[in-house]
Amino acid sequence: MFLLADLCHSPRVVGLDVERLYTMKLFNKTDIIFVLAIVVASLVFWGAYRLFFSETPAKAEIYHDSNLVMTVDLDENIDKEFSIPQEPQVVFHLFSDGSIRFEKSDCRDKICVRSGKLDMVGQSAACLPNKIVLKIVREHKPQKDDIDIIIGN
Amino acid sequence: MNAEISQKIKRLVLTGMLFATAIVLSVVEDLIQLPLVAPGVKLGLANIVVMYTLFFLGGRTALLVSVLKSYFVFITRGLVASILSLCGGLLSIVIMLLLLKIFKDRVSYLVLSISGSICHNLGQLIVVSLIYSGLIWIVHLPILLISGVLAGTATATLLKVFLPAFKKLDLK
Repeated sequence: MFLLADLCHSPRVVGLDVERLYTMKLFNKTDIIFVLAIVVASLVFWGAYRLFFSETPAKAEIYHDSNLVMTVDLDENIDKEFSIPQEPQVVFHLFSDGSIRFEKSDCRDKICVRSGKLDMVGQSAACLPNKIVLKIVREHKPQKDDIDIIIGN
Repeated sequence: MNAEISQKIKRLVLTGMLFATAIVLSVVEDLIQLPLVAPGVKLGLANIVVMYTLFFLGGRTALLVSVLKSYFVFITRGLVASILSLCGGLLSIVIMLLLLKIFKDRVSYLVLSISGSICHNLGQLIVVSLIYSGLIWIVHLPILLISGVLAGTATATLLKVFLPAFKKLDLK
């Protein structure tokens, strides 16, 4: 038992010693800048996300056990409920406004269902007990300037 | 010699108690779901304990508690969850030790706590994005940062309550 105590006995790792604990302040005035910086950073990230990812055409990919089993186009104004054949008890709901969600599941925690609607590229939800991951990814629709045919050797 | 042994025993007991608390918090945060966050990422409740271990018992013990806690998560929740837990804890400890080393005692508990909380969730996010390739992690950063600030603030406030009690322990 004292062997274990020996393992835990070093307060001087990386110069942390007990006396210093009492001299350290709880809160400095400059901390406010630190917190503000973080808040600003989070706003920047959120803004960047919305800016770059909200308008891209999207499709939903459903993975089961890390294999892609179904792709659902989100831009087709269809409203339907469906499941993947591997897990028929998990129901997805595709909405005509281009969003999709887990509607029903037999898992214990229902984190998947409570993730709500997904509609933007980058969003995802998962039902880990059923090994399902639902991801929204970019849809590569043919654009006007894309090359149609390439002829050559 | 007696004083030394008594110190060791105090440390051992404190470590054990902190570890037990970490386990309890780990179970509790398993029950609380966060709907919008990346799959598998949990509230950094147990990070509070790791932080306190770092402050009161040093880096080596904090690492020990973190690893043991991850092992416990491995037993109860499975491999993926334990890797998440381990990485979150490790990143949190590393960053806090760095801050302490660089700033000595000019850094405040608040900054340490917030950094610890953020890095804990950040570590988990990094692991999740490595596993689920293609996860656009930028989505989760705003919530991660804000919740880290809140958690860190709560932790630092709690610490203010605990510090007098800790002084009574008279650990060297």
